[in-house]
Amino acid sequence: MLTCKEVSLLASKKLDEKLTLGERVGFLLHISMCGVCRRYSKEINKVHALMLNVGKNGKSFMSESVKLSKEARERIKVALDKVSH
Amino acid sequence: MMHKMSDPDQWIPLYGDILYRYSIGRVRYPDVAEDLVQETLLAALKARENYAGQASEQTWLIGILKHKIIDYFRKVSRDKTQELEDHLIADEDDYFNQQGGWKIDFSQWSQPDKSMEQEQFIKTLQACIDKLPPRMAQLFMLRELDDVKNEEICELMSISTQNNLWVMLSRMRVQLRHCLDINWISQ
Ligand SMILES: [Zn+2]
Repeated sequence: MLTCKEVSLLASKKLDEKLTLGERVGFLLHISMCGVCRRYSKEINKVHALMLNVGKNGKSFMSESVKLSKEARERIKVALDKVSH
Repeated sequence: MMHKMSDPDQWIPLYGDILYRYSIGRVRYPDVAEDLVQETLLAALKARENYAGQASEQTWLIGILKHKIIDYFRKVSRDKTQELEDHLIADEDDYFNQQGGWKIDFSQWSQPDKSMEQEQFIKTLQACIDKLPPRMAQLFMLRELDDVKNEEICELMSISTQNNLWVMLSRMRVQLRHCLDINWISQ
């Protein structure tokens, strides 16, 4: 039987790639008997789906409180003025 | 619908924060993120005549920024090829025992549905992502947020084999999920 460490790798790989038949069988067999891996796999699916969804909506995944600093604004303004005038 | 272009003097107040958030979320380093915003606006200024007005100005600017971010990743990986894979070897296992069994457990988490809760959740997740080494965090955001395919990530970040990438992603997911357990779910 696969170890939990090996199964954690498959649970993650599953989000990015299709597993081979052998990998799938090993994975399913293990999680049918191991609650932690079953929970882990379900949980990383949720985070994955949430992030993908945020990305698809073109959102930045950053809180609104994150802002361009005053210094950076001034620096960028100077750089833009140099080119446009 | 055709979009009109605003006065470039208005770009910083209109889009500065939006572009910065997009950029910092992906490259993680504030100074790099600021430089990329500047490069984006400079490039936009030069390409102003090419703006066809089909996409909104914001979408157009983010499109330019996306390219700048990819260029940045390419440039950095050329200089730091080894760094990412060093993490593979250096990372000691905090999560599994010698027999490959878990040292930790995970609680069940229900999707935050209220927007305030979601905002809070994203903040927590960001704080957890910030605990990853910056190059790892960049890689993670490319994969999760922008859905960049594995082969492309390996090429962009100079990772020698896809197997190495899977191991890195897997470790990050364990680490992040564990961090969420500590910082969010038990709240
Ligand atoms: Zn297990």
